[in-house]
Amino acid sequence: MAILAWVMMGLAIWHFMIWLPDRHVGGIVGSFLVAGAGGALGGLAINGFTVPGEADLGLAVALEGIPGAIIALAIGYAIGVFRENAEAARATPGALKS
Amino acid sequence: MTERRRNLYILLFVAGLAIASIVIAATNAPRRGLDLRGGVELVYQAKATTNAPVITPDTLDRTIAIMRKRVDPTGTLEPEIQTAGNEQISIALPGFQNPAQAQRLVGKTARLYFYDWEPNVIGPDGNPAPEDPAVTGVETGGAGNPLSGIPLFDAVQRAAKRKPVTYPNRSHNETFYLVDEKNKKVVAGPQGLEEDLFSDETAEAAKQRSTFKVVKVPNGTTILQAEAPAAKSGADEGRAPKRQDKWYVLQDQVSLQGADIKDPATTTDPNTSELAVSFDFTSKGRKIWEETTKRIAERGQEQLIGGTGVQHFAIALDNQLISVPQIDPQDNPNGISGANGSQITGGFTRASATELADLLRTGALPVELKLISTSQVTATLGQTALDQALVAGLAGFAVVALFLLIFYRVLGVLAISGLILYSLFFYAIVVLIPITLTLPGIAGLILTIGVAADANIVIFERIKEELRSGRSTSAAIRAGYKRGLTAIVDANVVTFVVAFILFTLATANVKAFAFVLGVGTLVSFFTAVVYTQALLGVLGRSKVITGRAAFGAGVKEKAPRRFDFMGKSKIFFSLSGVILIVGAFAIGTQGIPLGIDFKSGTRITTGVEKPATEQSVRDFMASQGYPDAKIQKISNEELGAQAFQIAVPSLQPEKVQSVRAALDKEYGVGDTFSNTSVGPTFGTQIANTAIIAIISSLLVISAYIALRFEWKYAVPVLIALTHDILIVGGVYAAIGSEVSSATVAALLTILGYSLYDTIIVFDRIRENVPRMPRATYSQIVNQSMSEVLTRSLATSFCTLLPVTALYAFGGETLRDFALALIIGTFSGAYSSIFIAGPVLVHWKEREKIWKRRAVAVAKSHGGVIPAYADAPKAALVDTSPTGPVRLSSDQAEQVSDEEFQAMVRDLGVETATERKPKAAARAAAAPAREAEDVDPNDPASVRKAHARRRREQRRSRSEGDS
Repeated sequence: MAILAWVMMGLAIWHFMIWLPDRHVGGIVGSFLVAGAGGALGGLAINGFTVPGEADLGLAVALEGIPGAIIALAIGYAIGVFRENAEAARATPGALKS
Repeated sequence: MTERRRNLYILLFVAGLAIASIVIAATNAPRRGLDLRGGVELVYQAKATTNAPVITPDTLDRTIAIMRKRVDPTGTLEPEIQTAGNEQISIALPGFQNPAQAQRLVGKTARLYFYDWEPNVIGPDGNPAPEDPAVTGVETGGAGNPLSGIPLFDAVQRAAKRKPVTYPNRSHNETFYLVDEKNKKVVAGPQGLEEDLFSDETAEAAKQRSTFKVVKVPNGTTILQAEAPAAKSGADEGRAPKRQDKWYVLQDQVSLQGADIKDPATTTDPNTSELAVSFDFTSKGRKIWEETTKRIAERGQEQLIGGTGVQHFAIALDNQLISVPQIDPQDNPNGISGANGSQITGGFTRASATELADLLRTGALPVELKLISTSQVTATLGQTALDQALVAGLAGFAVVALFLLIFYRVLGVLAISGLILYSLFFYAIVVLIPITLTLPGIAGLILTIGVAADANIVIFERIKEELRSGRSTSAAIRAGYKRGLTAIVDANVVTFVVAFILFTLATANVKAFAFVLGVGTLVSFFTAVVYTQALLGVLGRSKVITGRAAFGAGVKEKAPRRFDFMGKSKIFFSLSGVILIVGAFAIGTQGIPLGIDFKSGTRITTGVEKPATEQSVRDFMASQGYPDAKIQKISNEELGAQAFQIAVPSLQPEKVQSVRAALDKEYGVGDTFSNTSVGPTFGTQIANTAIIAIISSLLVISAYIALRFEWKYAVPVLIALTHDILIVGGVYAAIGSEVSSATVAALLTILGYSLYDTIIVFDRIRENVPRMPRATYSQIVNQSMSEVLTRSLATSFCTLLPVTALYAFGGETLRDFALALIIGTFSGAYSSIFIAGPVLVHWKEREKIWKRRAVAVAKSHGGVIPAYADAPKAALVDTSPTGPVRLSSDQAEQVSDEEFQAMVRDLGVETATERKPKAAARAAAAPAREAEDVDPNDPASVRKAHARRRREQRRSRSEGDS
């Protein structure tokens, strides 16, 4: 149940990525996957790679999905921007020289 | 054959089918499931035995045949016994009200074994002690007597010390027991597998107590319970005497088996007037019998000096000694002849003797059966549930009919006639096959009314659109069916595939739902598309339907709805995000309340006559040994003024019956007591199956969308469906409603339906892409959505109508099921428009072609991309027409006035400045030539110019290439 909450939190955060320019690696679909996976991995990492049982559920469990999702989305976005810039630079070699 | 004649033939065929259906419906009654007429359902897990080391379909079929003989010897009870998966058997016994009795009847393996007694009884040192009367029981008045037996705990310890031996004729292989060493009690066993020892209760207890240990009894040793005490006189009609905790340990060397006897019957011993079960031997059995008794007699003669020489043989049924008769070597020096058969006595009552004779007559089950689920519904509750389901069905039909009538007028009347035919055909199929009608099945049926209406809505909306764009009625009808069919086929295929997956994977009740859904989808396609098309084709020229108003299309052309779906998508995405955050908090804090289907346990639902509160029932259950029982007062008219739901760990039927008796004595439960038990194995299996069903449905749906559209269309579909699943999960967690296997089935079904909307939108996008050669992808999607919004909302609304009726009138049982459908329908409609569309736009606009187009459009509009493409001048044409213009004689394929106007706009703005020199010169001249030649008010002129333009483009391209 905790994993589901983390993934869900990650995907909830993904919905707000639409306010940013579409520069995430893999685009909107890439960010969807990254957000879900980031939420789950972040939650697992916070809990020392164990999954809280039903008795351990609480507000904190849902919140634990947030940092992982945000970090993963930020990394994905940075990679996307880096690639885009590199591509633009390749397309205009003159600009590189100057 | 002319179209009119073909349509008439179809109508005649439908009329014939309708008459046949009426006859079938009038002369047959549907078969009702247990939830509609009351009864007991048992689900068993088959386990391999020494006789059947591998569970094969044949083994299960033989088991089912024996079970059927046991429960329905006269063939009149109509029990439903079927395999479920590869190793399970589900038995529905209508009319039965006692699960424990039902279990005794069908679940007993009934393996009969004969043992040579003295050489096989094991003494305290772990070895046979044939001459020790304390071990054989002779000292205490009879072998096999309870007085000489030892407690099961001691018997298990004694047996565990033995070394494994593999006898050719053995009753079983090694077995396992779970023992409590502190209290010297056996908690569970015998089981063939160690993991089978752990039920809900034992697993929990084993976790808490370190004194619980698993003990293995090796191959070649068996533990048999001592004979039952003799029945008291006059106990003929009474209960069988209860066996004591007295057991014997034996070497598992079987002399004779149940398969070696025949013709068992209840009889009375003429000498003692004791009840007995007599039988004859098969020829093989007779030979073995005579050899065995002769060997025993000879051994007895050897012991005559200094003793009586009396020897014994034991008759055991499923680990219990039935009788241990003696063989006197003086009376039978050559053993006992098997010519006249033999008889078993053993403290029988009339009922127990008859039961044993019946079990022996039908034979032993080839496999061992482990009960993993039981449920019991009283007949009263079943009838009420049926009444409620029928009211829900009628209400659902009425609201859908009303909606169709108001929205589509004459077309609505035709659609209603299609729905009536659908219901008639479906009922005929149900009674003809026959399909067992269950509550989820009826829910499926009600739902398919919505599907049938959805198909009509898709077509009728298209017809209205065609009418508004200036087509004649008959051309609009043809075009409507032709263009609407793709979306209907796609949606029906998806629904059918989901139904198939559910049918393949699900348990009995959900299977019935899936079957009804699949059949309903096929039948509804026939009535909603084939029948209504033929009817409209025949009536197409009649005065009744030639006017636009008759279709609800309006006399005036309505202005297209212009909503910037893509522009506002950020807001809708954020709204979804907020809903999901709430859902994540709900799941994170409370979890999704999974029902006993998934978690295992026993749920008792009962009304009580005497005053009771949750606390008093809780206290009472604690006094019965269930301190952790969860008690909930529920409101259920059928159960009376006071009703409770009691949840306890998974109980065996005998225990459920004892709880029932206790509750009845304390509070008076009458005939309102019903229960469902799911064992841990079954619960885990249901949970795994649900996950597999969801994943495989998503994969199959994606694959189908990828095939029908392109793979990039499948991704937004997957995301939208995930969104729907999460929202339903979040809402269930937030409101604390229980999720059962039926809820998962409802969810999957609604995913299929939500695709209806998505497919309608995507279908129009696909249609508009070549028709809007200079528009950006977001403009195309905006345009497409605005065109199909009414249709999309109407189909969702139409699905929602019967589902709401189900929620309002379907009774307690269907309420949770309907809730999933309602949430799913809302979420599905929302995600089709506000999630799938925007994701598709973002995903597609990463492609170079759409990026270029977006840049060009933005450039020509001061850096802003307008929401819609038609107002401003567009830029370069960077896509090529896919083929030559076809001038079809089919009115449905000809372009309408509206499409001509669109072409006019296109042609008035086209330029070709980026062509290669030679081609560019010609292309550059084209607009000028067109401007001279084309009269925008003359459709023929426009069409001609458009064709010429395309020819020139092709020529330019080929010259450029060369």
